[in-house]
Amino acid sequence: MTDEITHQDDHDPFDPTKIPQLRMIEINNQVKELQTIIRDRETTRSDFVFCADRLIRLVVEEGLNQLPHETTDVTTPTDQVYHGLKFGNANCGVSIMRSGEAMERGLRDCCSSIRIGKILIRYNEDSEEPMVYYAKFPPDVSKRKVLLMYPLLNTGQTAIAAIRTLINHSVLEDNIIFLNLFATPESISAIVKQYPKITILSSEVDQICPNYFGQKYFGSE
Amino acid sequence: MQKSTSSGSILNNDSRSPPRLITSSNRTIYTAGRPPWYNAAGQFEQAFVIGLCGGSASGKTSLARKIIESLNVPWVTMLSMDAFYKVLSEEKHLLANQNEYNFDCPDAIDYDVAVSTLRKLKEGKQVEIPVYDFTTHTRLEETKTVYGANVIIFEGIVSFCNKELLELMDMKIFVDADSDIRLARRLRRDIYERGRDLEGILKQYHKSVKPSYEEYIAPSRKFADIVVPRGSENDVAIDLIVHHVNKQLAKVWREICWAELKCAHRGQPLPSSLYIVEKSPQVTGIHTKIRSKETNRDDFIFYSKRLMRLLFEYTLSLLPFDNITVQTPYGTPYVGKRFNGSICGVSILRAGETMEAALCSICKDVRVGKILIQTNEETDEPELHYLQLPKNIDRDYVILMDATLATGAAALMAIRVLLDHEVQEEKIFFVSMIAAESGTHTIAYAFPKVKIVTTAVDPELNDYFHILPGIGNFGDRFFGT
Repeated sequence: MTDEITHQDDHDPFDPTKIPQLRMIEINNQVKELQTIIRDRETTRSDFVFCADRLIRLVVEEGLNQLPHETTDVTTPTDQVYHGLKFGNANCGVSIMRSGEAMERGLRDCCSSIRIGKILIRYNEDSEEPMVYYAKFPPDVSKRKVLLMYPLLNTGQTAIAAIRTLINHSVLEDNIIFLNLFATPESISAIVKQYPKITILSSEVDQICPNYFGQKYFGSE
Repeated sequence: MQKSTSSGSILNNDSRSPPRLITSSNRTIYTAGRPPWYNAAGQFEQAFVIGLCGGSASGKTSLARKIIESLNVPWVTMLSMDAFYKVLSEEKHLLANQNEYNFDCPDAIDYDVAVSTLRKLKEGKQVEIPVYDFTTHTRLEETKTVYGANVIIFEGIVSFCNKELLELMDMKIFVDADSDIRLARRLRRDIYERGRDLEGILKQYHKSVKPSYEEYIAPSRKFADIVVPRGSENDVAIDLIVHHVNKQLAKVWREICWAELKCAHRGQPLPSSLYIVEKSPQVTGIHTKIRSKETNRDDFIFYSKRLMRLLFEYTLSLLPFDNITVQTPYGTPYVGKRFNGSICGVSILRAGETMEAALCSICKDVRVGKILIQTNEETDEPELHYLQLPKNIDRDYVILMDATLATGAAALMAIRVLLDHEVQEEKIFFVSMIAAESGTHTIAYAFPKVKIVTTAVDPELNDYFHILPGIGNFGDRFFGT
């Protein structure tokens, strides 16, 4: 047991506002409760999945806010003009298997016909390097904004491998929006150092990353 | 059945039955929706309580029925003291079975329960009336739910024998009938309707009914404001009573003028109890979809549901949370938040019902109640038609849902219903997709502690009370009607 470990207090506090590429969803008490339930070891799997899905949905909704849009006027049923906004269609989602797949439904629930690609990354046991085993993207992925989904950023190496793969498929670096639930300060620093034009959206940056997330979400060991 | 008092009730005795109907020659009371029973400030003026006393079989209930028929108010509740008999011990229960227990004296009544029940009713609150079982002389598990009313008639042979009860009565009527007539009626009723034998009836009459009348009931006529000889046959007395009650009600009762409310708060800053979901690009984008008249129904439903979910996530964030520390699977502490309470949803039919699914999708196993309020097209008044609320709602934080908030008429009525069910005002969240500015003022003025939560506030209402620029009829667009 390492009871002495407390959150961020022993080190220089991590200041997300100093990293322009990092955006946080608004943390109100309700979001904090969701994070608390996800962190609590007493939480049942059913509650865990329920709360994770709610948190994912909030991150996805905020992720969609990062997409380009333009103003438009529409006529209401009472024949009044409403000054609104219109979003483009040149978007897609890409999930990093396997825990990234937990976020696909949240995206699908918000954008019913959005295209979703997948990347499978595993650690090579010999070199301890992340290896891309499988990647499947929409055909014109290079012209799209990409919502790259992965709930955990511990070292950031998996994410970096995924971003590299996308760039190899001619996706523009500044077209990538990384959707994440829990990140460590180290992982954020590592990603933005390598890919400074990317946008990362998270709900919490903390020294301790809940690495059990995928196992508990999918119920597999 | 060993009970000796009158139970010639005009009310249905089945405790599970829905609110009863009282029909008279030219109109039906109770069946129609309930019009507002509060003023523009959302406050309930105390109900007018008529106390009705008189000996057994003196004709109290017939008189009550005549008064109800002649009164010009749609919402009258009748409460009989029969419900408040004391639960008997084993010993007294045996006495009662041998006609030896006196049901006609004040000692037989549980005045504490009677007083607290009548007081709540007078304040317009819902009450649970005990149901007395005359075979076991105990109260049944089940109770009868009675809602607050504009006029309450409280009747019983010893209803004037308690000071606190007397203080709650705005008008006290004593029904006077000749003792021979009362005995004759009693004999006919007990023999023909209840199948009892003459011997037993007379024994009871001499042993308890007659002495009790002389000792407790007859002297209590001095408290009466009016003594009515011959009961329900006395048309002159009934006219006087009805005239007086109507005059008293008119004093406290002023109808709400919705057209005036529409502009009453123009130019004022938005109320501080109003909470609006952050206007992010997606929220505006969704509004653009659902407000456009070109949007098809599938898209309308899809985007509405997305917005509802954001709306409820935001609403829940307004609940009070406690700071807690949990243990993570790594054995490390995590400082977080937890909501310590219970939530239920209540939707205002029909449009509010569309929001139930979104609430359920973020609140596991949430209980949901329903209130049907419709606007009477002749009077422009909202009317309460149907009510089904979760049990123990008084302990909950209540998410009250309606798709749109226009004048605030339905919202005001629904909030009043919740308060009458003892929900605390500060625990009510009125949640709507779109609100008209004037509607938010109407609620905030009447109920400043109710939190009003919405995704957009539109500036105006047109002459038909439609929100501008608005969204059209939300229910029609959602349900395709």
